[in-house]
Amino acid sequence: MAAWDLSVTVVDLGPDAPPVTLSVTSDLHVGGVILKLVEKTQIKRDWSDHALWWEQKQKWLLRTAWTLEKYEIHADARLLFIPQHKPLRLGLPNGITLRLLASFSSPVFQTVMGICRMLNIRHPEELSLLRPVEEKKKKKDKDSAEEIYDLTEVPLSSASRPCLYNGMPAHFADSPQMEAIYKMLSITQPPPAPEVIAKQYRPASVVDKAHINGRWLDSSRCLMQQGIQENDRVWLRFKYFAFYDIEPKYDVVRLAQLYEQARWAILLEDIDCTEEEMMLFGALQYHISKVSQSEPQLMSTSAAMDDLDSALQSLEVKLEGEKLAMVDLLSTNQQLSNVTVCFRPKRLTLKGYKQYWFKFQDTSISYFKSKEESIGEPIQQINLKGCEVAPDVNVTASKFLIRLLIPAPEGMNEVYLRCENEQQYAQWMAGCRLASKGKSLADNSFQSEIQSIRSFLAMQKTNAGSHGNAHAADESINTHSLVSPRYHKKYKAKQLTPRILDAYQNVAQLSLTDAVMRFLQIWQALPDFGLSYVVVRFKGSRKDEVLGIAPNRLIRIDLGVGDVVKTWRYNNMKQWNVNWDIRQVAIEFEGNINIAFSCVTADCKIVHEFIGGYIFMSTRSREKSDTLNEELFHKLTGGHEAL
Amino acid sequence: MDDIDAMFSDLLGEMDLLTQSLGEETPPPASLPSSNQEVNFSIGFTDLNESLNELEDNDLDALMADLVADLNATEEKLAAEIQGLKEPSLPASDLPPPPPKGLSTHPSSSPSPMRSSSSSSSSDVSTPASSATSPLPPPQSTKPSKEEIEAQMKADKIKLALEKLKEAKVKKLVVKVLMNDGSSKTLMVDERQTVREVLDNLFEKTHCDCNVDWSLCETNPELQLERAFEDHENLVEPLLAWTRDSENKVLFKERQEKYEVFKNPQNFYLWKKDKKALKDIKDKDKELLIQENFCGTSIIVPDLEGVLYLKEDGKKSWKQRLFQLRASGIYYVPKGKTKSSRDLVCFVQFDNVNVYYGQDFRSKYKAPTDFCFVLKHPQIQKESQYIKYLCCDDARAMNLWVTGIRIAKYGVSLYDNFKTAEKKAAVSAVWTNRSTPSSSNASTPSPTIKAKSPSQANGHASSPQPGPLSQNVGNTLPPPPPPCEILPPPPPDPVPSPPPPPPLAAKNLARPPNLTNRHLPTNFPPPPAMDNLPPPPPPPPMDDSPEAPPDFLPPPPPAAGFGSLPPPPPPVSSLPPPPPARFGGIDQSLPPPPPDPEYLPPPPPPVFTGSGAPPPPPPPPPPPPAPAPVAAPRAAVRPSGSLKKVPPPPPKRTTPPLHGGGGGGGGGGGDFMSELMLAMQKKRGDH
Repeated sequence: MAAWDLSVTVVDLGPDAPPVTLSVTSDLHVGGVILKLVEKTQIKRDWSDHALWWEQKQKWLLRTAWTLEKYEIHADARLLFIPQHKPLRLGLPNGITLRLLASFSSPVFQTVMGICRMLNIRHPEELSLLRPVEEKKKKKDKDSAEEIYDLTEVPLSSASRPCLYNGMPAHFADSPQMEAIYKMLSITQPPPAPEVIAKQYRPASVVDKAHINGRWLDSSRCLMQQGIQENDRVWLRFKYFAFYDIEPKYDVVRLAQLYEQARWAILLEDIDCTEEEMMLFGALQYHISKVSQSEPQLMSTSAAMDDLDSALQSLEVKLEGEKLAMVDLLSTNQQLSNVTVCFRPKRLTLKGYKQYWFKFQDTSISYFKSKEESIGEPIQQINLKGCEVAPDVNVTASKFLIRLLIPAPEGMNEVYLRCENEQQYAQWMAGCRLASKGKSLADNSFQSEIQSIRSFLAMQKTNAGSHGNAHAADESINTHSLVSPRYHKKYKAKQLTPRILDAYQNVAQLSLTDAVMRFLQIWQALPDFGLSYVVVRFKGSRKDEVLGIAPNRLIRIDLGVGDVVKTWRYNNMKQWNVNWDIRQVAIEFEGNINIAFSCVTADCKIVHEFIGGYIFMSTRSREKSDTLNEELFHKLTGGHEAL
Repeated sequence: MDDIDAMFSDLLGEMDLLTQSLGEETPPPASLPSSNQEVNFSIGFTDLNESLNELEDNDLDALMADLVADLNATEEKLAAEIQGLKEPSLPASDLPPPPPKGLSTHPSSSPSPMRSSSSSSSSDVSTPASSATSPLPPPQSTKPSKEEIEAQMKADKIKLALEKLKEAKVKKLVVKVLMNDGSSKTLMVDERQTVREVLDNLFEKTHCDCNVDWSLCETNPELQLERAFEDHENLVEPLLAWTRDSENKVLFKERQEKYEVFKNPQNFYLWKKDKKALKDIKDKDKELLIQENFCGTSIIVPDLEGVLYLKEDGKKSWKQRLFQLRASGIYYVPKGKTKSSRDLVCFVQFDNVNVYYGQDFRSKYKAPTDFCFVLKHPQIQKESQYIKYLCCDDARAMNLWVTGIRIAKYGVSLYDNFKTAEKKAAVSAVWTNRSTPSSSNASTPSPTIKAKSPSQANGHASSPQPGPLSQNVGNTLPPPPPPCEILPPPPPDPVPSPPPPPPLAAKNLARPPNLTNRHLPTNFPPPPAMDNLPPPPPPPPMDDSPEAPPDFLPPPPPAAGFGSLPPPPPPVSSLPPPPPARFGGIDQSLPPPPPDPEYLPPPPPPVFTGSGAPPPPPPPPPPPPAPAPVAAPRAAVRPSGSLKKVPPPPPKRTTPPLHGGGGGGGGGGGDFMSELMLAMQKKRGDH
């Protein structure tokens, strides 16, 4: 067979080095080509990760046993000899950028699996890569100083499960720097500054929201084929909103990133919610950031902890005995008793506040004419269980009111307690809050409740005091960091504080994990949760409409009205097809319902992949072990490439 | 030793006080000053006497046993504590002080000094005990000389004591429940009981089919409202919100809409689809809907949106608004705004309100239709501007909304409730099938009946009931069937009932905790025991087990003792916890004893007798208070001792009633006790 010259560029020789020319025959297999090439370069190193990339055809020559003939490679082919794994700048849901080695040669689905393995995120099938939204280049490019966490030193492993060391993958336990990175991955970020939120792109309409979905990379093709270069930026995001088997014990990173993605979705109004819900999200963010600072060893849920359990249990028993004594102290000696002023607005009477001697006992407050009489019968005793407690506070004006709505057979009685100072207010407020939930002052959450009320008061103070000044960064959080920019305009920070505080009382006792879970639950309970939008044109229709793709259904949204016109559930779906030539998706549902549409803001492959992906997600089940059925995924999402 | 004795008598004295206060707890407090909360101890009756009279015999017995059991529990606790004396922190002695305080403050209050009459809520039980602690520590500390007992033991005892104390403070209500047919049943409900447990109880009493639709509802005639309690709710709490003169009723009836959402989820989650499609939906798809909406990380609320009529605060007119249901509450679209989430105005959130069906609002409030529902705080019992009235176009819409609100409010509990109810229904179906035939022939049923009879406090003729077997008994007397197999003696036909079969008595005695539980499943002490014994009917274990297994360190021994080893003595010696052991021993010896048969031939009251309260109620002559108590503690003190002191136990039990009856200080308590006794006697006389 005739020999001919094949030229291969070896990138490692330097950018200006001429291509290496090999004399080959068409029946030489790719492995042989590589062998010759390596010999010719005379460089001794580990070439095992290198492979041939055929530039014109945008194709890797990964099957080393295939001959050049089989690959249809001729002398005009421009081949590159390059590593398959190259550094990639990966934007995480929490806004941090990592630099790590990712596979540029395997389908993106596998690349993501590799990334998730490295980062210790389970269920990589739920995530994918996204081309980032171009940032408007500011003149002063201060973002260039952006900190990038480098993970490129991490050895590539093919083990499906990283072995854990100290609760984290072994490669993170190597050095303090690596540990710090893992910490960053697994701990939620502090609330962003309001300006940062305001600066970010916010979709204003469903159509805006649809555009982001045009950016998903194709799971069945590799990064090189999709024009991603070494050191390019891509985003790692949860793509399929069907989160399977969340287990806080193993999913530290997954949960943290999921929370971050959800938080940003809320802050940027990617998903709509009501004001009340926004306040609750704000309260949860506040709580999460507070607790995660004080509870940094979240990830160390090691086996040792389990052993401790029994020990703790027995200790608990003992403590219970002792707690008796302590509780006693608390309730007898330190009951809250104070002169406060009481005002009960009765329709027309605007008579002011009257001073009484108040006593807090158990879940009730009682009041007396004076301290001296407090041994006798109270004028009235009010049981606070089940009542509503609301603050009415203005720190600068020294107004510390507690508004109580106390249920009674005849309706709700409104009572205001006026406290003299912050200290007193915090105590009484905490007492009222606990009592309304049926807990007494002896409850061990009393002190922490006081603390949190105080920190909120402090927030109000700094916000009100230092207008325009740099915010006292430490303790206080600007409440504008917790809500979407819409509310920055609507409320001043100090107006926002009491509202968030109000919502906060319902979540203040949650542990970090519970709070994160609660956040995710509320997020998932939003009506629009899990919808990915694509602008489409239905067959026979003359206007654009929006297709919403949810984990269990498709919805058709009329752009004019903004209303859901139609819903189709996947479980009624008989089949779906893509006509790749005219790029049209056709779906058949039970009952002879057929729909067809072409996609406007995204490639139809993306829509196809979404639908197939969700069907794949629904096939997961505990019985089938936890190995990922990659083949099935590609079958469902691959389209013509898969065939 | 003398020291100890002296201490015991001290303790006993204190115990007296304590028991008095306990006695008082249950009966209606003489006066309830509290302004905003009145407590009716008998729900559905005009006064307590009436309620007592209406109690069925077994209920009455049960109530009685219950009271006694409470006292017993306290005693036991004391005994236990005495054992652990050396521990300075032991609350044992402290208990006494509280009662006086409690007495002085309010009749209704139990040991807790802090409790006001209004604090009927459970709140924390531990507090009272603690308060007591402070005063008495010194004496206890003197005792440290004794050899060490394992810390673990002490800890257990403290725990036990705490549990008991909790139990002793449990509120109980006598509730009259109206049946479908207009009749009524009266039950004792304790505050820890969930609606589910009460329903199970009613199932036994009514021979109904136990399907999942059975509900307990409250009606408020004044507001014309009705609401089905959710199965996981505690029954007592909402009842306490009723006013004293309330006309409210508790109904036991089938409500189809209770779990409709789990039977036909498509009607709620796909309500927009046309009706025909909904009807034809496949079971597989229904399952999927439930899976999607109730089994994920988050409970999904059906997305309801529609125009409802709203009765504006205080106004008579009804105004239309576009409402939307979300997990976080009900919202409406303000005039001129879009439906987008951020423009929605919150109408109500569900934390503090319950949802009620309105009845006949068309005439009462001039509502546009009769399909109205109401949101209000459970405490509100009369007309108020804080009640939100909504009116729907048709029944379907109303059910959609009410169910949607329940899903939003109760979340996954609703689904859990349904699963429990379904299981229950399935089991009882099996049971009825099985038991119907068996009931007729003496042999098979016998075990059950036996087991049951004690539990039911000798429902006398009650024997017929076929269905109930499993449940009632299950709770109280775990081991119905098994025992029969094991225990040869029982074989005699149980039905005849006349004499208390010795084993029975033994059983009762053997497990002090059981006594407590007897009728009230809530007092789960039995669970442990049950575990040991092959639980016959599956259902019972479920009910009990979740609850307080901890307390019952003692039960296991008895179980073992009587289950496997009829001869009590051996176990006794081996068992560390003295009290139970002692009992075990006693039972064996006592069963034959005179009291039961002599006094009451027909009814199995032996339970009581055995347990201590000598039938002759009013005249508490038998055991003089002082000595008896002393004896009891002593016995308790010597664990190693052995069974010898047979006498102690009976006296012990007696003591409480004694106090109750003669109870000097707590007039209320005493009265109530004697009242009860009288009532019991009367009933018995009738027979």
